[in-house]
Amino acid sequence: MALVAANKNKDVDLALMNEEDQEKYSGPSIRCVLFELDSEIYGINVKKIREVLRVGSIRKVEGSDYNVLGVINVRGVIVTVVDTRLSYGISPKAVDDLSRIIIVELDDDNIVGMLVDCVLEVKDIPEKQFESMSATKEGASRYLQGIAHFNGNVIILVDVDSMFKV
Amino acid sequence: MDEEILQDFLIEASELVEQLDEQLTDLANSPTDSDLLNAIFRGFHTIKGGAGFLGVTPLVEVCHRAENVFDKIRNDEVAYDDVASDVIMRAFDVISDYIEKLRDGARELDEADTGLLSELDALWRGQAAGATHEEEIATPEAEVAPSQPEVKLQLPEGVDPDGDISDDEFEALLNQRDALSVSADEPGTTSVAGVKLQLEEGVDPDGDITDDEFEALLNQRDMLGVDEPSAPAEPPKSAVEPKVAAPAPQPAPAPKPAAKDSDGDKGEDKPSKAAAESTVRVDTRRLDEIMNLVGELVLVRNRLLTLKSLEDAQEELSNAVGNLDHVTTDLQTSVMKTRMQPVKKVFGRFPRVVRDLARKLGKEIELELQGEETDLDKNLVEALADPLVHLVRNSVDHGIEMPSERENANKPRKGTVILAAEQEGDHILLSITDDGKGMDPDVLRRKAVEKGMMDEVSANQLDDKAAFELIMSAGFSTAETISDISGRGVGMDVVKNMITKLNGSIDIHSVLGKGTQINIRVPLTLAILPTLMVSFGEDSYAIPLTSVQEIFDFDSDQTNKIDGQMMVRLREKSIPLIFLSEWLSPECDKTTYDGDKVIIVSIGNQRAGFVVDQVNGQEEVVIKPLGVMMKHIEGYAGATITGNGNIALILDLPGVIQRFQY
Repeated sequence: MALVAANKNKDVDLALMNEEDQEKYSGPSIRCVLFELDSEIYGINVKKIREVLRVGSIRKVEGSDYNVLGVINVRGVIVTVVDTRLSYGISPKAVDDLSRIIIVELDDDNIVGMLVDCVLEVKDIPEKQFESMSATKEGASRYLQGIAHFNGNVIILVDVDSMFKV
Repeated sequence: MDEEILQDFLIEASELVEQLDEQLTDLANSPTDSDLLNAIFRGFHTIKGGAGFLGVTPLVEVCHRAENVFDKIRNDEVAYDDVASDVIMRAFDVISDYIEKLRDGARELDEADTGLLSELDALWRGQAAGATHEEEIATPEAEVAPSQPEVKLQLPEGVDPDGDISDDEFEALLNQRDALSVSADEPGTTSVAGVKLQLEEGVDPDGDITDDEFEALLNQRDMLGVDEPSAPAEPPKSAVEPKVAAPAPQPAPAPKPAAKDSDGDKGEDKPSKAAAESTVRVDTRRLDEIMNLVGELVLVRNRLLTLKSLEDAQEELSNAVGNLDHVTTDLQTSVMKTRMQPVKKVFGRFPRVVRDLARKLGKEIELELQGEETDLDKNLVEALADPLVHLVRNSVDHGIEMPSERENANKPRKGTVILAAEQEGDHILLSITDDGKGMDPDVLRRKAVEKGMMDEVSANQLDDKAAFELIMSAGFSTAETISDISGRGVGMDVVKNMITKLNGSIDIHSVLGKGTQINIRVPLTLAILPTLMVSFGEDSYAIPLTSVQEIFDFDSDQTNKIDGQMMVRLREKSIPLIFLSEWLSPECDKTTYDGDKVIIVSIGNQRAGFVVDQVNGQEEVVIKPLGVMMKHIEGYAGATITGNGNIALILDLPGVIQRFQY
């Protein structure tokens, strides 16, 4: 969790910044839930997130896709859980105390769970900070909406809609 | 056209059409029932009112004439005979067709067939010399400026001071009241004739009214103070005075004649008045939501019950859980009831289907309906409609013989088709029985061989029942000629699939020369499924109980490998075995299945033996859809949460069998 501590130090009050920094961090921003996968920071727009759960028992479903771990019971609703590492082509890692399932709302009727290494915090990231991903290479970038440089970290913004086509 | 008002109108009109359909069917049996005649008259009238307001002229034209005819019929001026019913039925079809088109998004409708319109007119004129245009009072424009003198003359004669007040009398009185309050407000200056004069020359009282004209008329009336609801009415005849007291508090004509029209009609609709006031229209999605939540509650209850039995809980806690148990069960039943509808909703259409078909085919057929009041789940009612239509058509087309043929076979000329429904435990049994020619199992066997579905030997091995079930195989049609009624060979297998999808079963009994009976069994509700719980290691799966025939221990002495397929011998028959663990727990590479259980399931006319590690017993489960990225997986019908809070996957048997067939 060293990263969180590092973030905290860098999280300086806007009033204390010089003018250039103020310019950089003002304007509309996107509120994101930040999480970690293989020591990299990813973000998902909070509007898309219903809740974050600890990992309980996941029921395996034989015959499902390679990145699907199974289903869980979220207060009576059966929710598919995917291993986000596998979706991004990262080798899987055993579930530990920090592992979380982020419940993402795709639309009114569909929700899905994403298993991540750990959930960091909720952050407002200025829209100006995002670079579009159009120039990068194909493949793993298809689920990415953009990349932001923020407080010295690189944050990868996840495009959940393209990740889970309903 | 105001889309919102149109949608409201369509909802109402669709309901009315449904009602009219039922009522017209009833009318065939009791053509002089005056309550029924009045109800039908009002039905057409209300649709006309709404359509008139929205300017759907073709619909108004037909409704208007149908209403006219029924006005005559209920006043005994025209008889509701076969000719009349035929024309009315056609008019009704046109009306429901129009409404359907509107619902499908059409905004311009074709003019109604002039032949039909003139037939309706002729029917109306029938014995109608010197008739008055009473019904025009009901049209929006006439309401504003009715043809007063005629009303005045008509009223006193028809009024029975002690009898029930008819709608026409009632509306006439309303108009009188309006007219009278006009003259009361401005005595001497405005007469009844004065109101009438203000309707612009050239305006056809039956035709469309433009917005401007309508607006102008409203203004006129407002100025005259006609719409003061409190204006006391002074009817000219004291004999009818008590009757006026009731209509007086009627709402003043609102600037929306369509709305007013229907409101008024609802109020007058005596038989359904109480019902109208005690019901609320609820979106079915919302009901589904409630149903789902109740399902959740049931599961929580089940979990608490499990906990209660596990630990020696305190007495008070047990009592509380016991109470919760009762309340939940009651709540579940009540919520289920909100979704229940009498099967009459489906049956109601059959008298016409049978009548029309029989006429077309030149057959004489009587349809008997039994158990119409049996309730079942709304979704089921809808889902059963198509299969039943198909089966009834089959009975009429293929089952019942031509009258002469029947006479030769010493049967009454008139064939009988019985459509019956009854509750049988937690199932509904629907049966279609005819006393027609029945099916010949030998013909069916031969057909199966001809179609290359099986060789002669195995065809001859089929018992009669299995032979009858052949008709439910895809591409099997025995009709010599293809008609537009049935016999395209896509029917029965589709019917079977639809019933299977509802977790139902279908079976056929037939005696050559005596008739055929088809029985359909469907669960009372689609939301809760009785299942057999089985497990592989820790993972549990639910198998729909309706398909389970028997369970026995796996015994390797009773199995053989035939053509690469493991089979089990059961009472001189070989049934293919499906080792579910090969699919569901591939990592534990099993070498011996001794101690496992074999579950014999039947899907349609196919049987298979599922080999499972363990059978845990029966459980009623609430079916939940599997989530995103899971819907395409073959073999699962959904998932459920068991009493201990775990997830069990529900197997879809046809899908599972598909999986193992390659």
